[in-house]
Amino acid sequence: MDTTSIPINWFLMLSTALFVVGVAGVLIKKNAIIILMSIELMLNAANINLVAFSVYNNDASGQVMALVSIGLAAAEVALGLAILLNLNKLRDTVNVDDLSILRW
Amino acid sequence: MDFTSLYEVAWLVPLLPLISFLIVGFFGKRFKDKGGMVAIGLVGAAMVLSLIIAYGALTGNLPSEGYFETSIEWVVLGSGFAFELGIYIDTLTAVMLIVVSFVATLVVIYSIGYMHEEGERRRRYFTEISLFVGVMLGLVLANNFLELFIFWELVGLCSYLLIGFWFERPSAASAAKKAFLVTRIGDVMFMIGLIIVFNLFGSLTYTDVFNEVAMANVDQTWLMWGLFFMFGGAIGKSAQFPLHDWLPDAMEGPTTVSALIHAATMVKAGVYLVARMFPLLVFNGAVNGPNVLIFIACIGGVTAFIAATMALNSPNIKRVLAYSTISQLGYMFLALGTGGYLLSQGEIESGGLGYSAGMFHLMNHAFFKALLFLSAGAVIHLVATEEMRKMGGLRKYMPITSLVMLIGALSIAGIPPFSGFWSKDEILASVFEAGSMNGVFMLLYVLGIATAFMTAFYMFRMWFMTFTGPEGEATKTVAERSSHGHDAHEHKKGRFSEHTPKVMTVPLILLAVLAIFSGMAALFFFGDTFYGVVYFDEPNHETALELLESIFTHALTYLSILVAVAGILLAYFAYYKNKIDVKAIANKPAVKPLYDMLLARYGFTKGYNWIGEKAVYGFSLVLDKFDRFIIDGLINGIGKVCMKTGKGLRKVQTGFVQTYAGVVVGGAVVMMLLMYLLMTVLGVDLSP
Repeated sequence: MDTTSIPINWFLMLSTALFVVGVAGVLIKKNAIIILMSIELMLNAANINLVAFSVYNNDASGQVMALVSIGLAAAEVALGLAILLNLNKLRDTVNVDDLSILRW
Repeated sequence: MDFTSLYEVAWLVPLLPLISFLIVGFFGKRFKDKGGMVAIGLVGAAMVLSLIIAYGALTGNLPSEGYFETSIEWVVLGSGFAFELGIYIDTLTAVMLIVVSFVATLVVIYSIGYMHEEGERRRRYFTEISLFVGVMLGLVLANNFLELFIFWELVGLCSYLLIGFWFERPSAASAAKKAFLVTRIGDVMFMIGLIIVFNLFGSLTYTDVFNEVAMANVDQTWLMWGLFFMFGGAIGKSAQFPLHDWLPDAMEGPTTVSALIHAATMVKAGVYLVARMFPLLVFNGAVNGPNVLIFIACIGGVTAFIAATMALNSPNIKRVLAYSTISQLGYMFLALGTGGYLLSQGEIESGGLGYSAGMFHLMNHAFFKALLFLSAGAVIHLVATEEMRKMGGLRKYMPITSLVMLIGALSIAGIPPFSGFWSKDEILASVFEAGSMNGVFMLLYVLGIATAFMTAFYMFRMWFMTFTGPEGEATKTVAERSSHGHDAHEHKKGRFSEHTPKVMTVPLILLAVLAIFSGMAALFFFGDTFYGVVYFDEPNHETALELLESIFTHALTYLSILVAVAGILLAYFAYYKNKIDVKAIANKPAVKPLYDMLLARYGFTKGYNWIGEKAVYGFSLVLDKFDRFIIDGLINGIGKVCMKTGKGLRKVQTGFVQTYAGVVVGGAVVMMLLMYLLMTVLGVDLSP
């Protein structure tokens, strides 16, 4: 595979951009589902990094790691959505600002 | 006969009563008499061994240095120095062994009768009394001051336990506490003295401390203070002025315990201590001036006088005896102080006589005071009261007891040939001798003579009030009991026979024999006189006849006999013939305040109570305030600061998920920046 065609920095910039979008989403958005999606964005930013370095270093273990990470993310989303579903049933909302009773 | 192998096992002497302490303490309940026989057997065995050892030591079978010593290492300190546990036997030890073991054995035997009605409690009684005897014997046999101090404290503990034997009576409980606390003042002084002496000599073993070279090498001013404080211990233990006030209260214990405390254990420990540290006192007195010795003599003389005055009008039979003990102990200290003073001034002969007379008086006093106390115990046992005004006319019901008590009274009054005369007369003679060198002793001699007069008076006042005259209300109940035969074991007895059980009268008779003869025996039957056997520096080589001659050619001897007889006659006319109306004299406006002051013990009781209730309690209140406001304030303050901080900080927990996430992100960023800075500072190359 031609490793010189796209420099590694481009991948890193892409993943960084994606990560920052994810962080911003987590910090700014009030809808819990969107927050969950933003977390997925951050995860995928990490996955891009893994794959990019895997190719760059000519080592397959990075890609294996990325696959594991994707599987984990799927499980996590299933869990997260289940929690949100129950939350919605109980509280009739998915706005995180309304869910602030666990405090001082 | 070779006694050395016997001296080697002298450690058995204190051990045997201590074994009895363990046996009776743990298994006493299984014995039918609650351990009384065990205590008698083991204390008696200790007595037999003590008497043999004492016989050996007093008949000159000691090693050539004049003492026998053996020890084991007890606590080894890092520098190779070791505290020892050991035994030290010389003639002084021997006299104490005789006194303690003999009187203690008789008291334990007597207790079988006296404590008969106590039931299950006899186990506790015999346990404690075994311990008491054991530790006192240990104190006497110790070969260093530290060991002595340990036993000294144990003696204090035992007296606390036994004075408070009837602890359910508040007066007994508080008397026990008082005895413990007041003697504690002395004990602390004793400890300070020991620390000073240890710092000076680097050792507390007698043989190291009494070494002439070592004594010459230490700072004499410091040594003086050390001795002064050690004598403070003796003041507390021997109930000397101003720490005398616990002893009259200690009468709350069983009379047998009083007898033991007064005659053999506890109070004699203080006199023994002073006699034991005599080499130091005399050496220091000779080099540094005899301040401590004069102090000892003054305390002794003043105590003898003050205690005797308090005994003059006390209505309680045991109190009278308690005051007389304090007074007689004062005589002993007077003798020791005077003897030491004369010795330190180079008067070897008369000074040695003073020392020996003090120890002689200790021995004689042990016998006649045990006799008096046990007789008083028999009286109290019969009439169930200690008030002499309720007694009277008891001679009919207890002829033996009244006779032996008369012997005791004659002995303490100093009538020849009873034992008290021989020692008391020598004490006064040596004080008079010192009087020609120092005016203070002349004053002390006057006090001593006045005390002798009062002693004779109050002892016979007690005897007449108890045994003669009209029958008091308590006596009448006895008369009723014996004529109606209420008590099964008294029912056969006639009106004029002894109402005291044999187990109590036999010890009394034995002691009475000693009260008559111990003085003469020590002068005549030792082969040498007491002064030739128990001596300091040089033995007095006068034979018994020469001694007798010197006693009876001295005009002062007749003076002391005269005042004693005068005291007895005064008591006879006032309380037997009723020629003198005592009550009228006591109620005269000029006498009344004095009379009341004596009953109030010169206000010492009040004073101590004031110290306890006002001074110490006030100080405690201050401490309480300090504790509450300063200490507690500090602790609570720290708590409050934590609470406040926590209250403030918990606002951080907003409950908003995004705040937390923001903090996490911010934290991560900060950490990365820090990392970057650190790497830059350390010079790590970050380029790919």
